[in-house]
Amino acid sequence: MPLIRKPSPAAPDAVPARDPLAALRDGSPDERFAAARAAGGLPGGVPALAGALSREADPRVREAILTSLSRAGTPEAVAAILPHVHADDANLRAGTLDALRVVPGGLGPHLPGLLADPDPDVRLLACDLARGLPAGEAVALLVPILDADAEANVCAAAVEVLAEIAGPDALPALEACARRFPGDPFLPFAVRIAAGRIGARTPAPDE
Amino acid sequence: MSEAPPLTGEELRQLCEFLYRRTGMAFDEAKRYYVQRRVTERMGATGEGAFPAYFARLRADAGGEVEQLINAFTVNETYFYREDHQLRCLSRDILPERARAKAPGEAIRIWSVPCATGEEPYSIALWLLENWPEVDAYDVEIVGSDIDTRALEAAQAGLFGRRALMRLSPDLVERYFTPAGPERWRILDDLRESVRFTSVNLVEPASTGAHGRFDVVFCRNVLIYFDDASRRLAAENLYDALVPGGYICLGHTESMSRISPLFAVRRHADAIVYQRPREGSRD
Repeated sequence: MPLIRKPSPAAPDAVPARDPLAALRDGSPDERFAAARAAGGLPGGVPALAGALSREADPRVREAILTSLSRAGTPEAVAAILPHVHADDANLRAGTLDALRVVPGGLGPHLPGLLADPDPDVRLLACDLARGLPAGEAVALLVPILDADAEANVCAAAVEVLAEIAGPDALPALEACARRFPGDPFLPFAVRIAAGRIGARTPAPDE
Repeated sequence: MSEAPPLTGEELRQLCEFLYRRTGMAFDEAKRYYVQRRVTERMGATGEGAFPAYFARLRADAGGEVEQLINAFTVNETYFYREDHQLRCLSRDILPERARAKAPGEAIRIWSVPCATGEEPYSIALWLLENWPEVDAYDVEIVGSDIDTRALEAAQAGLFGRRALMRLSPDLVERYFTPAGPERWRILDDLRESVRFTSVNLVEPASTGAHGRFDVVFCRNVLIYFDDASRRLAAENLYDALVPGGYICLGHTESMSRISPLFAVRRHADAIVYQRPREGSRD
């Protein structure tokens, strides 16, 4: 029978032989990928990953760096990720927010800062991150966006999340938000849909 | 169990949105009966009499309710030749391509993870013997791995009931199995010994890394159970477990594109699969 049971002697090893911190600097893309995965658990790994994230051009290696930093989850690791929410590269920006989404212990402490970021794109994506919080916390963070954010698109992102999780208490803020942008045809429409959805369901008990 | 009231349109939409975001499984009003039946079952099991309370429990994943609900929505049983379109894709498209990349004497390695009680890795072995004309020309190593050691013991024993064999023709059953009691069949020793079983934790890099690299990984219907962080890590571990150019096959409700940007989508005649790009490639 041609099917073999014993491990193939030619089975290549997935573990890099080089020192990960060195490979992270000057390895091939595959070596840097492997090094990024190994570095998070090494002394000096988080600063090395932070530096690598700033210069890494290969999206696959960047993904591995972001995963290692988010797994580390230390304030130092989160601080290394946060600046990249402003990256010019949309893929890196989105990857950064995905990494923040899975930081152990949650994004809670960082979310108010992201929701107040000067960059409306960051605020918009942060609204979606709030969806992962318990409903009460998310509503408490998003209702002030409706009251104050200057960008209709950011408010619309908050409305979309609130449509799913908010109770009738949020209706006045939603309606006031629609009035803040009289020239925007989409926002009143989105608020109408959200209000209809919220009104159609029984309030959930506190989570 | 007391009957839960029918979901309102909004409740149904709320649940379907949650399920889609969490698992990629898409349902809508057209599947109301299917959805309602499963939600009613879970509300009964959790003692929640009203949907809002049940949905709050689900969002908080209290008592592992997300996994329980996914279980209710997926077919958990496994059987020989399940999703055989992927096996056709394996023999028609994937293996010929992988074989061309091999040095003389180099084995083609296939990983079934999680392999549960062995139906999938044995199906791969059986399918290749029956359907891949080149099978005699290459060494093919098939590894089945799971985190559940009881399942692995059952897989190694190679005993199966009628339901597990329901997709196999009587001819295949006769040629590859021997009767082993009422409604029980044992897979032939030659086939049983062609699959190596190991334990693995998909979210532990050292555990997956110890298995070396594979040409093809079958990882079906497990990533939907993971939370975002575990899914992201498992995807990287699977990427690392593939040779450059190697393939991963997911379950039909799963999409790697929703999980990780590491893989390239490959559309073959029989299946959509995902590929680890070759070094330097921008695939």
